[in-house]
Amino acid sequence: MSALVIKSVSKHFGGVAAVSNVNMEVPSGKVTGLIGPNGAGKTTLINLITGVLTVSEGSIHFGAQDITEVPAYKVARAGISRTFQNIRLLAEASVIDNVMIGFYRNEKTTTPASLLGLPSARRETAALRDRANKLLERFGMSKFADQEAGGLAYGHQRRVEMMRALASEPALILLDEPVAGMNDVEAGELGEIFRGLAKDGMGVLLIEHNVRFVTNLCDFVYVLDSGRMIASGSPEQVVNDPAVITAYLGS
Amino acid sequence: MSNFFTVYHHLFDVFLIGSGYALSQWVVMRAGVFSVATAGLASIGAYCAAILTTKLGWPHPLSILAGTLLGALTGLLLSVPLARLRGVFQAIATLAFVQIVVAIGLFSDSLTGGAIGLNAIPILIGTKENLLALLCTIYVMLAISATRVGRAFEAIRQDEAVASSLGVSVTFHQSLAFGLSGAIAGLFGGLEAFQTFTLFPNTYGFGLIVAALSYVVLGGRRSVAGPIVGTAILLILPEVSRPLADYRNALYGVIMMLVIAFMPRGIVDTGLLYFRRRRLAAKAAMESQQ
Ligand SMILES: Nc1ncnc2c1ncn2[C@@H]1O[C@H](COP(=O)(O)OP(=O)(O)OP(=O)(O)O)[C@@H](O)[C@H]1O
Ligand SMILES: [Mg+2]
Repeated sequence: MSALVIKSVSKHFGGVAAVSNVNMEVPSGKVTGLIGPNGAGKTTLINLITGVLTVSEGSIHFGAQDITEVPAYKVARAGISRTFQNIRLLAEASVIDNVMIGFYRNEKTTTPASLLGLPSARRETAALRDRANKLLERFGMSKFADQEAGGLAYGHQRRVEMMRALASEPALILLDEPVAGMNDVEAGELGEIFRGLAKDGMGVLLIEHNVRFVTNLCDFVYVLDSGRMIASGSPEQVVNDPAVITAYLGS
Repeated sequence: MSNFFTVYHHLFDVFLIGSGYALSQWVVMRAGVFSVATAGLASIGAYCAAILTTKLGWPHPLSILAGTLLGALTGLLLSVPLARLRGVFQAIATLAFVQIVVAIGLFSDSLTGGAIGLNAIPILIGTKENLLALLCTIYVMLAISATRVGRAFEAIRQDEAVASSLGVSVTFHQSLAFGLSGAIAGLFGGLEAFQTFTLFPNTYGFGLIVAALSYVVLGGRRSVAGPIVGTAILLILPEVSRPLADYRNALYGVIMMLVIAFMPRGIVDTGLLYFRRRRLAAKAAMESQQ
């Protein structure tokens, strides 16, 4: 089953085509890779999917729903979560508060209940705090729970962002270079987690520069260069594709 | 002695009303909106309540309720054009709104009494009502901070892109914050109207904008206690030392500059942060010893 289907999508910034005529599918239960040199249009594609940018041409479907023109917060509510290439945490908030905002999508509390501080609203908050603590435990981050997120080491900040995205229990998660700047051990640990998510049925789209990491982890890989999809297939097929080798080594 | 009591009793009422305005200012900033509309919204609440009672003979609780609702409605309406603006542009647009409200107050003198003022408003509100209104407002603000809407506000204030990437609607929450800000300003404006014989349009002009902003910036933008402590400090300082009162505006200016330079989070939030960091450091030290 295909969770996300991108059909002939283009995006122009003025005269520049950052993404041109891209077709892509991200199925549930698999890790799909998206690689390409700097400026290839990978982040732009994520911004198009999540409704941060509007598509110039083409369509994007998520399950049965057409999300081409849907604003960012509704895309998130539909079940697509993301992490940002240049980590974006709520820097002043504690680690646990950063994770708790991730639960927002599935919260039951209504606005009036929250304004009046009804017991149901407070109970839900307490329950979410427990769940956030469990998530912190799973990522080995419990001891940082009350620290300000902005003060954490880089690798820990990445984890907080990941936990926040996972807290929303998305059907599809878009990871924009989630292991950039990490050493092999740290990257390997996160790779295991991504595998686990896919095994549990989530669709995972992984953007990454480290070709070895991608080939180890992904079931299927797309290669973007200068906004165009130049190759797609199994990791082995793709790394041996002459067009891909040229894109990475050439010019 | 009885003079002492009346002076400070009056000051306490001014503090209660000022705290209300401070919370009206605080709640929009809490949701990441740089609005200075509080003064205009308070004016609308005050005039609405006073006019309904003096001209139409409404009982004053009903008039105050109407002022509160009109404030909320105006806040909601104001949020629609402002949704496209950010930061300093929101400040300028809301500043214009306050000026417009002042101008309407001055020119529609058949209704508002114009520059001469709206006179003969009965004194029907006292400390008890002010205190009750402030406590209710504080309760709602604390409830918000402790539950879902507060988390959404906080996320929006710090990073709108992150908030919307998690399903939080920025437009909805900023409108909600505007509506709440309008309700609070309208409520306290209405209360104020029934304790000051006369209303002047300029009471709700630039001076109140600066005051409400100062209360929040001085006290703090995150905790509910921040704006209340800020109000207390800025109102009490000129009273404890008479010479300071003559230079009230200069004093506000100097305090603001010092706070912004050395305590950008405001007094209360800086203090809370300091204690939290100390507690965390102590905890870390304990753990490393074991
Ligand atoms: N908002 C924007 N306005 C104008 N041009 C943009 C904008 N966003 C991206 N671009 C351009 O689109 C192209 C693709 O950028 P994008 O960030 O998507 O690349 P990327 O594949 O994510 O690169 P990297 O690996 O460096 O992250 C670049 O040429 C970039 O300059
Ligand atoms: Mg990128």
